[in-house]
Amino acid sequence: MSGGTLIYATDREPLCLDPHSEGDMPQVFIAQQFLDSLVSMDDNGRIGPWLAKSWEVSADGLVYTFHLRDDVRFTDGTPLTAEAVRANLDHMIDPKTQSSTDKNYIVRQYVRTDIIDEHTAAVHLSRPYAAFLEVLSQGFLGIESPTALKRPEQANCESPVGSGPFKVVRWDRQNQIVLERNPDYAWGPPTALHQGPAYLDRIEWKIIPDPSVRFASVQSGDVDVIDTLPPEAHAPARGNPDLTLVLRNRPGNPTNGTFNITREPFSDRRVREAFVRAANVDGALKSVYFGEFPRAEGPLSSVTPLYSADFEHAQDYDPQLAGRLLDEAGWTRRDADGYRTKSGRRLSVVIPEDEYLSVSERALWEQVQASTKKVGFAVDLQPASHAVMMNRVYTGWDYDARIEYWNTNTPDVLRYLFGADFIGSVGPFHSNGSGYNDPQFDRVMEQALETQDQDVRRQLYHQAQQTISQQYLQLTTYPQSTRLAIYKTAHGVRVEPSLTITYLYDAWVTK
Amino acid sequence: MNRERLWRLARHSGTRLLGGALVLWVTATLAFFGLKLVPGDPALSILGTGNPTAETIAAFNHEYGLDEPLAVQYALYFERLLRGDLGMSYAQHSAVAGIVAGQVGATFQLTLSALLTAWVIVLAWTLLTAGRRGWWSGLGSGVETVAAALPPFWLAILLLAIFAFGLHLFPPAGSDGLRTLILPSLALALPLAGFIGQVTRESLEITLEQPFVLTARTRGVGDWAVRWRHALRHSVLPGLSLSGWAIGALISGDVVVELIFSRKGLGRQLVQAVQVRDLPLTIGITLVVAIGFVLANWLVDLIYNLVDPRLGRNIQ
Repeated sequence: MSGGTLIYATDREPLCLDPHSEGDMPQVFIAQQFLDSLVSMDDNGRIGPWLAKSWEVSADGLVYTFHLRDDVRFTDGTPLTAEAVRANLDHMIDPKTQSSTDKNYIVRQYVRTDIIDEHTAAVHLSRPYAAFLEVLSQGFLGIESPTALKRPEQANCESPVGSGPFKVVRWDRQNQIVLERNPDYAWGPPTALHQGPAYLDRIEWKIIPDPSVRFASVQSGDVDVIDTLPPEAHAPARGNPDLTLVLRNRPGNPTNGTFNITREPFSDRRVREAFVRAANVDGALKSVYFGEFPRAEGPLSSVTPLYSADFEHAQDYDPQLAGRLLDEAGWTRRDADGYRTKSGRRLSVVIPEDEYLSVSERALWEQVQASTKKVGFAVDLQPASHAVMMNRVYTGWDYDARIEYWNTNTPDVLRYLFGADFIGSVGPFHSNGSGYNDPQFDRVMEQALETQDQDVRRQLYHQAQQTISQQYLQLTTYPQSTRLAIYKTAHGVRVEPSLTITYLYDAWVTK
Repeated sequence: MNRERLWRLARHSGTRLLGGALVLWVTATLAFFGLKLVPGDPALSILGTGNPTAETIAAFNHEYGLDEPLAVQYALYFERLLRGDLGMSYAQHSAVAGIVAGQVGATFQLTLSALLTAWVIVLAWTLLTAGRRGWWSGLGSGVETVAAALPPFWLAILLLAIFAFGLHLFPPAGSDGLRTLILPSLALALPLAGFIGQVTRESLEITLEQPFVLTARTRGVGDWAVRWRHALRHSVLPGLSLSGWAIGALISGDVVVELIFSRKGLGRQLVQAVQVRDLPLTIGITLVVAIGFVLANWLVDLIYNLVDPRLGRNIQ
């Protein structure tokens, strides 16, 4: 089980290999191979050691003291010290990195890092943040060499330096990123299947945007592993004896349409529930995604830590109920086209669609449009360029529903999505897309961050999921997922649990 | 070649180059204002995948001079351009010149290989079929007409489906080595060969009727030798001049073919740049492509003048 080159093919090329900068999913997909994190997360959502051997949280929840391993070196020779922890956390919130993901996760809480001794760092927060360890276990907050971080952003984007099982050796843009084994690696996470250096000599990380070309490449064995397997390829892949499938849902907020409740008609809870009940999502998933994507009905994907299954049927298809709710809400008349009206206004729902939205996602919403029409909704799907979306939808409020999702490994995601603080948000981009403003809900979310007691957190997050579910703030469709097809030459390819990302540390090839 | 002719040729080339520079200036200006007219804020397009703060956006706008009035932006842009500085890509945060340098080789390789492939096909096919009696000649020109009408994107998908997905003879994607170059080159070369073939055939057929061909034949020169050694060099001129235009067509074909075969190159990079309104990168690539086009046409013109001395007299 040693040696060899694994060829991996993915759909999108990262714009920067340092996941602290900006923070798009393709960055963390590759960063997971060359960065280690302070702490690890297992399949049950429990936090374990990694670069930090152990840690203590002060009684008030404001100081996290990390005791670091003393045997770790970055691949540029820099040793891991408390200074590295400070340099990394400071880097993540530095405006220079133009970070969005990392910044969202820590900027409201992070104050500073004190160096207690060479291998002990104390991180000070401005308010209790029980989700801190969860977000730290994500590859987006992976730890980089402080020496390398001192270089200009551009250099760090092109050749970031970590302490992980592989290191970046070459980036041939629009073609491939080449990684080589770190021969000194002796600090794998406890969740890994082995310790010591990785088995693979080399990884060629290819960029093949077209899904059918990517699938053909793995069918012929030109590449060993592909990700983002298109749903239409699931059945042929299952029928191919040379291929193995790995399908895993990602934690966080499932793919959904979030209702803008700051204006008519979705300012009325009954109209929101009517829309949800009128949408035949199961039927749409069957026809568009060949039944390969499960339905998600709660505000959290089922693999999110502290998820509750109690809300799995809150969005079941029920057109009769939808009709009754609309009658109650006063949308009783119908116009010549069969759409419902109230005081002469048509029950219309504007949903702008970003140019980046996939063809199948558009088809899904066309089916939602068709099924809600039967109950009397006039859904207007409006194609828009990304730039227009920025103005109208991501920074503005000119929509009735916006299509989105959020991958993260903590139920605290509900705070970014529905907390009053995020209506205006850190920047102009409002992550609270519904405009939901409920002091009681905000208090529950804050309380959940103030305790380290998992049972208390579970109970509070149950309450939060219940509130959001009952408010019908989103039509949730299906969870985001990681979908790999693996050719018979590759073995030990795993998916790590924090963000369900491919992890090649335990992998090897036989060719 | 006498001195007077050399001077004429130089002056002619100089005029052509000046015209080329004008084309470049117009190209850059159109690209600049065209992209400015598209609605949306580049800072938000590029930073917006997550949640940039107002501070971040201000820093970004300042870094790229986007907080200046449009006329100032245009002036600054051209001043830098004249110094040979293509600027920084918004999206990749690195020098446009560097990004272009990384991609231009792959596109040049594909364009050149498509052009050469097209010429090999043209020479083989026309020499074999032109000026023959009956159905053989009809088949020759029929195939050319069909080939010329094939859209490269459709052909690319067809080749991909048959030779990569179906027969597994070639890899369906990639930018490494000859094996990944063959299908994309054919997708571009076949329609082009149709075009060049049509004019070359016509010219070859006219040449084969010329008295000097008859003379050669009466001297006892074999048919193949007549075609290859005597008629051919009189017949390639129209095709050669068409090749200058063809390079422009090939470059636009490159965009599509690079996307379909997941090849690296300027075309695919251009599509990405336009999508995120990465102004400096879009203009940078447009300019480099325009320079390539202008240079290629200048070169064709020069070769044409050298090959056919009769043209020199008409230049003035």
